[in-house]
Amino acid sequence: MIAYLVTITILLLIAPILLFFIKVLKMRMLYKKPVSLLQGYRNVAKLMQKETLISEEASGMTRVAPFLVLSPLLVTLFFLPPVVQGAFYVSFVDAFTITGLIALSTFFLMLLGLDSASAFGGMGSSREAFISALVEPAMILTVFSVSMMAGDLGVGQAGVNLASHFPKAHMASFLFAAISFFILLIAENGRIPVDNPETHLELTMVHEAMVLDITGVYLAIIETAASVKFVIFASLFASLFLPFGMQYAPPVAFVLFLVKLFMIAAAVALIEVNTAKLRLFKVPNLLGIAIVFAFLSLITFYVLGA
Amino acid sequence: MFQFDTLSLVFTSLIVLGVVPNLFYSQGYLSHLKRKGHYLLHYTTFIASMLGVVISANALMFLLFWELMSLTSWQLILTEAKEKRTVDAARFYFLMTHFGFVFLLLFFLIATDGDLEIGFAAMHGIVAKFAYPTLLFFFLVLGFLSKAGAVPLHVWLPYAHPEAPSPVSALMSGVMLKVAIYGMFRFLFDVLYPWPMEWGVLILVIGSLSSLIGVLYALSEHDIKALLANHSIENIGIILMGFGMGMIFESMGLKILSSFAFIAALFHTFNHMSFKSLLFMGAGSVLYQTHTKNIEKYGGLIKAMPVTAMTFLLASVSISALPPTNGFLSEWMIFQSMLGSSHLDNTSLKLAIPFAVFALAMTGGLAIACFVKAYGITFLGLHRSTNAKHAHEVNAWMRTGMLLMAAVIISLMLFTPFYIGWFDKALSSLGHLSVYGRIFPDGIWQMHSVAMHGGVVSPLVLLGALVSVTALLMFAYRALRVKERIHRTWSCGYRTSTRTQYSATGFAGPIRRFFGWLYKPDEHLTKQHIEGYSSKFSDSHYEVHVKPLFETTLYDSVGRAVNWVSYWVYRLAHFEQTRYAAMIFNLMLGVLFSYRIFAHEFSWATLVLEGTVMIISIKILIIGEEQ
Repeated sequence: MIAYLVTITILLLIAPILLFFIKVLKMRMLYKKPVSLLQGYRNVAKLMQKETLISEEASGMTRVAPFLVLSPLLVTLFFLPPVVQGAFYVSFVDAFTITGLIALSTFFLMLLGLDSASAFGGMGSSREAFISALVEPAMILTVFSVSMMAGDLGVGQAGVNLASHFPKAHMASFLFAAISFFILLIAENGRIPVDNPETHLELTMVHEAMVLDITGVYLAIIETAASVKFVIFASLFASLFLPFGMQYAPPVAFVLFLVKLFMIAAAVALIEVNTAKLRLFKVPNLLGIAIVFAFLSLITFYVLGA
Repeated sequence: MFQFDTLSLVFTSLIVLGVVPNLFYSQGYLSHLKRKGHYLLHYTTFIASMLGVVISANALMFLLFWELMSLTSWQLILTEAKEKRTVDAARFYFLMTHFGFVFLLLFFLIATDGDLEIGFAAMHGIVAKFAYPTLLFFFLVLGFLSKAGAVPLHVWLPYAHPEAPSPVSALMSGVMLKVAIYGMFRFLFDVLYPWPMEWGVLILVIGSLSSLIGVLYALSEHDIKALLANHSIENIGIILMGFGMGMIFESMGLKILSSFAFIAALFHTFNHMSFKSLLFMGAGSVLYQTHTKNIEKYGGLIKAMPVTAMTFLLASVSISALPPTNGFLSEWMIFQSMLGSSHLDNTSLKLAIPFAVFALAMTGGLAIACFVKAYGITFLGLHRSTNAKHAHEVNAWMRTGMLLMAAVIISLMLFTPFYIGWFDKALSSLGHLSVYGRIFPDGIWQMHSVAMHGGVVSPLVLLGALVSVTALLMFAYRALRVKERIHRTWSCGYRTSTRTQYSATGFAGPIRRFFGWLYKPDEHLTKQHIEGYSSKFSDSHYEVHVKPLFETTLYDSVGRAVNWVSYWVYRLAHFEQTRYAAMIFNLMLGVLFSYRIFAHEFSWATLVLEGTVMIISIKILIIGEEQ
């Protein structure tokens, strides 16, 4: 139980660091002077001190939606697979529920974008709706496939099973599912090539456009939600697709897990530096690849048993 | 004459749950209507006839109430027959519902051997001796699914449901479609029992297509009630997916999974009744205040109509299958039963079912997009028309109706185990395995899938966790005592106005463009160019209409074929007498020649020779010279 609570706390604490780790790495690779890793905390601290500016066109939705964006993600944090052996994990939540909770958070984010009557907010919501509609099937199919290999649909149990019995016989379908899930990780977190989190041009924004009219503590909440979402995806990827190292002593296993998270962040940073953002209407091609890989993973599992 | 077994009682309670809030709503809506007597007479008869259908115990009663249900709902659509559109929609509905009725009648005539007063159990014996059960299955599918609105018999739904007064739309979409699902349950279980696998596959395919097509056309719709009607097609599709999975598992001998899938279908039937009725009531309230069904003319209604907006939000979250609502739970069950397909030992089926999973997941994603559009454009932002600006909350009767329906949704969410236990009883009374103990093995807190490697969900814990975390966050925000300032939305130096917001057309733009190959949208763009410049314009107008694919292909081409045939029949009826004589001569020639060819002896030479003679004779004597 202690390991469980410690894991959640640490995941919550490293969430902003992980996002800024990507940024620092990108800046280094582009020969810029990098910001501090703790910039995320500084941003939140600064936003917490500011007054909240609320649009006069907005309704009560603006006052409620930020909390509803964050809370499903915080709840999801409690349902992640265990990091060290023998730790407590929640057994009554499966991957569909987690997909649903993330979609719930996105649903309120999209409503938030439409609330302030600004054209940019609507633009962001519309694009997010388009992308997340295509992410959903790929996500479900990947989950389906992983549950076959792990022998359980519950995320916690699947993580434990994969760590104890790595599916050596199903390497091909495992790999296809991993590729599909990595594309989803990029798409769901709004990273390049799907969305550029650092853009200053409203016409190319997706996520940032929705929160253009949000200020102060509400913005701090939304930014925390974005970083928590990345941590959720990264740790799901680490537990389900890089399931090794859990058998070591708890501190070692834990450090190894953190290293895995930073490796995933580094991979995302490398992709961001090396690719250009796709046009919105090219994004379905990328998500189509994710869907095809998820199908391939299922088909190889059924037909070849590989 | 009547029977009250568990299945009948389950559907009776579905009707009661759907009708009671509707009565309040209808009472509030009544002042809006001119022909009150006409409305009340048909409204009460409609409700009574639906109840009659689900409790009748023989074919005669069933058909009587079924027809009464169709006729009263047809008259209810015509309550406010001011426009030609309404009359056309009602005529289309009348045609489609009787198209289905013909097949039901054929089914009953064969299955009862002519004696319509025997019970359903006796029909099973007659059907068992009938040589072509698949024919009967097709009759059932055509009869019930044309009422339920499954692809390709769904085309009437987006026309008929929006034209009815709103309480009636809520009843038709929420309850009447479910009566057709009752028919599927009753006659497939009681009469046509041992099913071949192919039947289940057919239902699954129809379900997958309906769900995708329903949600895609809902997205392109600007009429809020037509949007909701398209979502009914989608949800009927989801119910049929659960139903089809149940049939497949049953025919493959996986009894436990089969019961689970049927329970999922029943649960989704209840859930769809609850949220779709509420959505139609909300849409009706908005329509009542703004006098338009066009979603582009709404906006900002959350400030004026808080009760409508809150209940509509609850229903939107539920229909989008987001946790922890009841819509999520039933879709979760259907997903779980599809994951059970890994137990099948038929590889081609195993490979096919992921496509159904894909269809259901895609439907879920698109439904979220669609309800963000429906809710965001209607209730959020600035008002888009004067009517929306002057809207205010509806009267207490209508508010009560909506709140009661919201209570039904919440009860389905909180008392899931109770409802599932009840569906389980209904299925075991029809001779299926009881799986309640497997779904809730350790109390009501956790809901298990019955499949191996299946998932677990805990609706109450999830609800509790979400509510408490949100409350905690909000409490923390209060404790911070943040200063708030109200200011207008920044809009690059301009003022935000009603016309600079995103429109519903714009919101669905990316999706419409991506599915352009399906929609084939009819776009009109007119610009008032400033003299001499092609890129500068003072005024522009963009309009887009999407006509459903099935209507343009299947229905219109049937119409064209009928036209073509009737043209030739017309020609035939207006010949001169000499031509009739020539036709008789040619007919005799044809009979003689074909007797020679087919019955006597066959040779290619005579075939060619006689064929040539026939063609020349037809050309000269019948067709004659072109005029």
